[in-house]
Amino acid sequence: MTDDGRVREFVTAFEGLRAEVEKVIVGHREIINHVLMGMFAGGHVLLEGVPGLGKTLLVKTLSESLELSFSRIQFTPDLMPADIIGTNIIVEDADGRKHFQFQQGPLFAHIVLADEINRATPKTQSALLEGMQEASVTVGGVSRPLPAPFFVLATQNPIEMEGTYPLPEAQLDRFLLKLRVRYPAIEELNAIIDRTTQSRQVAVERVMSGAKVLSYRELIREVPVAAHVRDFASGIVMATHPQWADAPDVTRRFVRYGASPRGAQALILAGKVRALAEGRFNVSADDLKTLAAPALRHRVILNFEGEAEGIDVDTLISQIVDGVEASTTQAREPFVR
Amino acid sequence: MTPDAALDRLVRRVSAQVRWRRVEHYALRGFFWASLPAVALLALKGGLGALAPSVAGALLVTGALLGAIWGGLKRTNRADAARLADRAFGLEDRVATALEWAQRPDRTPLVDSLVADATARVEQIQPRHIVRRILPREARFLPVPMVIALALTLAPALPLPSPRLPDFSSGGQEEDKEQRGGSGSLEERSKAEARERLRPPTFEEREFQARSGASTASTAGDLSAVFKDTSLSSQRPDFNSFLKRGDERLKLLEQVDRLPDLASDFTTSQYKMVFRKSKALTGGLRPDQISPQKLKELLEEMERLGRKGGNWQGDVGEGMEALEGGQTDRAMEAMQKALDKMRAQEEASRSGKGLRGGRDNERGGGRGDRRGGEGGGEGEDFGEGEGLLPGKGKSPSPKGEASRRLQANPYDVGVEGESRRGRKDGFDTNMTGRGGPMASRLHYLGVIGQYRKLMEDAITREAVPRDYHTQIKDYFQALDER
Repeated sequence: MTDDGRVREFVTAFEGLRAEVEKVIVGHREIINHVLMGMFAGGHVLLEGVPGLGKTLLVKTLSESLELSFSRIQFTPDLMPADIIGTNIIVEDADGRKHFQFQQGPLFAHIVLADEINRATPKTQSALLEGMQEASVTVGGVSRPLPAPFFVLATQNPIEMEGTYPLPEAQLDRFLLKLRVRYPAIEELNAIIDRTTQSRQVAVERVMSGAKVLSYRELIREVPVAAHVRDFASGIVMATHPQWADAPDVTRRFVRYGASPRGAQALILAGKVRALAEGRFNVSADDLKTLAAPALRHRVILNFEGEAEGIDVDTLISQIVDGVEASTTQAREPFVR
Repeated sequence: MTPDAALDRLVRRVSAQVRWRRVEHYALRGFFWASLPAVALLALKGGLGALAPSVAGALLVTGALLGAIWGGLKRTNRADAARLADRAFGLEDRVATALEWAQRPDRTPLVDSLVADATARVEQIQPRHIVRRILPREARFLPVPMVIALALTLAPALPLPSPRLPDFSSGGQEEDKEQRGGSGSLEERSKAEARERLRPPTFEEREFQARSGASTASTAGDLSAVFKDTSLSSQRPDFNSFLKRGDERLKLLEQVDRLPDLASDFTTSQYKMVFRKSKALTGGLRPDQISPQKLKELLEEMERLGRKGGNWQGDVGEGMEALEGGQTDRAMEAMQKALDKMRAQEEASRSGKGLRGGRDNERGGGRGDRRGGEGGGEGEDFGEGEGLLPGKGKSPSPKGEASRRLQANPYDVGVEGESRRGRKDGFDTNMTGRGGPMASRLHYLGVIGQYRKLMEDAITREAVPRDYHTQIKDYFQALDER
């Protein structure tokens, strides 16, 4: 198959998968797109939203649309790392001899839903770190690979703070994108009511295999990025650092820590998926502008003043992107150079 | 792999547009900066005449041309042009990415598809001008020099300062003062007069005073200056001043033999010219403070004058040698010696000339009388070289009894007529500065006729040279106009 044909196939597959999810999920087109982008980019996605917006349903539907194993972990304060990763248990074989055998935890699945991840203790949350980054877990000195593709979708409730453990920065940084699930519009709400209160059941078909997902991941990495687009991504990430010499004023004033290099990787990778999903063979600056907020909002840590002032991280990132774009455009204006 | 021709064409087209916009941009900048000297040129068109607008126009064209060349020569980056095309035609960085990745060795298989896709899209594009015109900052201010230039072109030439170098010699300063005196305020002129009174008599003054005999000892100084002085004509009528100076001039008119020898004016006297320059050079300075260069110039001038038969060449040569040796004091001494010789030679050459003869005799008599002491008689010496004006040395009035004094000097009387009765305000006629707001105590118009008549009688009765008649009449005419 030609490259052109591969791309067209990916576009079709992407749209087909989205269509399957949209059979169940009403609205949230952007969230679905970003979830799929995260999956095809080989990253993990954190969904944040109040209860009842369909976060869990979205992930569950996605898993049903893919020919992949799915596990759901409901995070609670008493959840232990072994409950996620698995543990060695003593088993007795046919001869009556006892030995330790590794019992896989729910993490050993292609798609893992970590529901209300911020309710678990940091110790348990940290159990996800290795799996999310290395796609493997180490138990009893033995490293065990997780199935590929491995995709973690976590949800958290931003309102209920009591009895929660906010994710540490290191954990947050492992998520490629952080999506904010908004309340649906009235038309969407009406559609939700109609769809969920009738007797008709919606059947979701499996439209994509794990192998396909992996092949698409390979394809996505081939998407070329022009130097000026890459520079734009670097500029955005650097502009989130208050210590950077050219950091904008909003960053210096309200930001404590800026995005890590993973932020730039996330921007470019997600940008590649977006480009390919739109049938484009290259990443554009518009891709980065669109994806800046989901890729960076959980990587930019506000300082006390930013928190006290109630600064919205998305607005802050938007200002940073605009500033970088303006300075880049101005600096690269070929006319006056 | 090389990028498709369509992409190349698009980039070249955009580059050309960029270059053209740059040409416009920098031509405008060049035009603005050239307009500044052009305006300056037009402001000075009085010196250049009709050539100024042409030169200014040429300057503008040159500035614009240079700017245009500069803009045209600036290199346009292909990647920049490609990005510009991407932005302008909504190609979402396809062209820039394709151009960049087509040349890269690590290009991915998708790059071929990218190039093909970009080419297909570019071929559908309708060519148009995509590079916006960016006006330089200077363009905002361009109307200012343009309006000024237009106004200057249409307006008559601005008056230029005189190209003559200022004469720093003392004589030059005196001339300037004289010139300014015509238009200067009364106060300034009074101050200048006061300074003049306090100044010790120079050699020239002594010389002129020496010409006058004992019988005319009551008259003062430089008569040529009296006739030259038309400053009264530019002032408000001040009859007190008129009394003090006007009648004195009338009296002088009657003394034909004391008329100035205008043929020996300062400008015709080599010695006086050099003397003035030497005074300007040395004026109050120590020898070590004097500019050797100026001293050398003066000595050279003296040497030049000496070639025409002067006997001071040796002194000048000595002075030059001393100057070269860095001995300014010796050079000054030599210059002084040369000056003395110049003076002596000039006096010797003048001794046989017309008006000097009679006066020389009288001068001799005066000297004899001076030995007789002060006071009384016709032979009284009222001071050689001293004037009537206050502060000019000894008082010219004879000492002694009042009636005798009056007899001795028939001109020491006031105007005719009787003083009015009653209390009189006293006022100092020798005041310096502007006159007070009070009205004149005497009827100027009533007595000017009297003085004019005296003048007319004098010039007809006495042997006043005909050339001076017009000058004298002009003087009274000037007074009359007031």
